Amino acid sequence: MIDLKNVVKIHQTGDEELIALKNISLHINEGEFTAIMGPSGSGKSTMMNILGLLDRFDEGDYILNGKNVTHLTSNESAHVRNKNLGFVFQSFNLMPRMTLLENVALPMVYAGVPAKERKERALEALTQVGLENRIKHRPNAISGGQKQRVAIARAIVNKPAVLMADEPTGNLDSKTTLEIMSIFQRLNREGTTVVMVTHEPDVAKYTKRIVSFKDGEIQDDQIIEKQKII
Amino acid sequence: MNITESFKMAVDSILANKMRSFLTMLGIIIGIAAVIAILAVGNGATSQITGTFNDLGASTISVSTSDDATDSQKITSQDMTSLKNSSDKIERISPDTMTRGTASAGNNEKTAIMLGGTTDMQYTSQTMDSAVTYGRYFNTTEYSEGSSVAVISADAARSLFNGRENVVGEKVNLKTSNGQVSVKLIGVTKSTLEKMVGSFNEEETPGYIAMPLTTLETLVPNATKITSLTVQVASKDDIQSVSNQIVNTLATRHDSVGEDVYTATNYLQALDQVDSVLGLFINFIAAVAAIALLVGGIGVMNIMLVSVTERTREIGTRKALGATNSNILFQFLMESVILCLIGGLIGLTLGISLALVVASSLGIQASFNISSVILVLLFSSIIGIFFGVYPARKAAKLDPIEALRYE
Ligand SMILES: Nc1ncnc2c1ncn2[C@@H]1O[C@H](COP(=O)(O)OP(=O)(O)OP(=O)(O)O)[C@@H](O)[C@H]1O
Ligand SMILES: [Mg+2]
Repeated sequence: MIDLKNVVKIHQTGDEELIALKNISLHINEGEFTAIMGPSGSGKSTMMNILGLLDRFDEGDYILNGKNVTHLTSNESAHVRNKNLGFVFQSFNLMPRMTLLENVALPMVYAGVPAKERKERALEALTQVGLENRIKHRPNAISGGQKQRVAIARAIVNKPAVLMADEPTGNLDSKTTLEIMSIFQRLNREGTTVVMVTHEPDVAKYTKRIVSFKDGEIQDDQIIEKQKII
Repeated sequence: MNITESFKMAVDSILANKMRSFLTMLGIIIGIAAVIAILAVGNGATSQITGTFNDLGASTISVSTSDDATDSQKITSQDMTSLKNSSDKIERISPDTMTRGTASAGNNEKTAIMLGGTTDMQYTSQTMDSAVTYGRYFNTTEYSEGSSVAVISADAARSLFNGRENVVGEKVNLKTSNGQVSVKLIGVTKSTLEKMVGSFNEEETPGYIAMPLTTLETLVPNATKITSLTVQVASKDDIQSVSNQIVNTLATRHDSVGEDVYTATNYLQALDQVDSVLGLFINFIAAVAAIALLVGGIGVMNIMLVSVTERTREIGTRKALGATNSNILFQFLMESVILCLIGGLIGLTLGISLALVVASSLGIQASFNISSVILVLLFSSIIGIFFGVYPARKAAKLDPIEALRYE
């Protein structure tokens, strides 16, 4: 599914060069549920951005779904993100003036899905995260946990192969964190590959694999024997 | 992504900041309103003036000799006969000779303008109405004999005869620095001024007294050496060709071909002048409007740049969700075009109202046409695109990660 080969990423700030990723190779299979961990500044977000085709890298190759996506144009990347990748952000990033239904339907607008089908599928996705009764609300009328559920609905509405989340529970309390993790687990059971960054070992134990970063390198990569199910 | 979607997004975002959007549109509104109002009033005025020319003088040609014309180059009554015979397109012809003097009857005295002409002057005169209230105009016999007869304007009659208007048969003494003559009044007619204005201060305006040119010669030396003529053509379509023909005939008869002694002007030239004055005026206002639109356009660009900055995170999110650069470009371009279009429509409404008010206060009819509406819509869109392209490109080129990280 995901295959990073010897990826090097250098951040350039003025004259200073910072090697954020040093020769990273990572293979993630279909159906995996992976947590990326590591101290602040270790390169987790940098790698997620590369996996999400939001950023380019300086050396190496990236094979996604059997296709080399190292040298895509920005248009091609946009299409791949739209069709194959789903994003969940730490700060939700919902459109404040749109209803929840419209927010969830947004990726389908860029996919060219007709309006009627958009509505149906957005409602279906909101049902999956238990918010089918709030579709006409605006984001400012719901709680943080609910916002993240809307964001998840938006991320899965185009039925992506991989769901990517950079610290999705960073802004949430422990109870809502559990709710979100349970939704991730269910989606993963239903076949979606999930990759998420987290700082909290308590959260990581709900995944199936933990990849630990340190100073731009993978320090540790372990399969969790007994995934904690919610 | 289709047009309906981006249209909806653009409208949503304009409505989210109603006051700001309105202020941004102000320049466009003022510019478009000015253009529409000026065009409507200007066109209305032009057609009004054209109409007036058609009513009053569309069939009239004014012929004059240059200031340095010699006595032998001046126009004679034989010239007039020859002109009239040379073309059946010429309906009437009369000199416009006039002088200022005093008219007196009994103890009453009044300043008068004395006019001399042919029998046609009843119709060619610009100062006296052709309809005679009492009596009649002088006839050809009286003209050729130089009889001491005259037609008086009603206001002059009232002044000289203690308020009486029907003064046919009375005698009036006319006097200028060159001499004097006593004429018998054979007709009374309204002056053009009285006909148009109605009552006015009769003491201060001179009266008019019309007589055969030959009679006027007692009061004006060389009155029969004519320097200015009024010619009426039967159909105004012939006016330019007859004008040219008159100049040629006169020049040939006086051996003055190529000397520019005679000029014939008609309403076409006068219209040209009105047109060029109006055109100058319209151009000036158009320049002012163009500046307003330019300022308005810059305002739109400014607000769109602010909007792009404010929505950096939104742009990043949209890109992450699969928006291409052109999706983003189109969305912002749409927004600035709609902003300008709404401004254009408000300006259109305002301009029409303004034109109606101004036109009615000027007593003219504002003229609107559908093409100016289409032009406004087109022009607004062009301003929207022109000033929207830069901010929209800026939005489209944003790096998704930078945009997502933007606080
Ligand atoms: N756009 C950038 N320009 C320059 N340096 C950058 C940029 N983005 C990240 N870095 C640097 O690259 C290194 C890795 O950053 P990254 O954001 O990937 O860390 P992280 O593991 O996600 O940290 P955190 O847990 O705090 O989110 C850091 O030293 C950071 O300062
Ligand atoms: Mg990070």
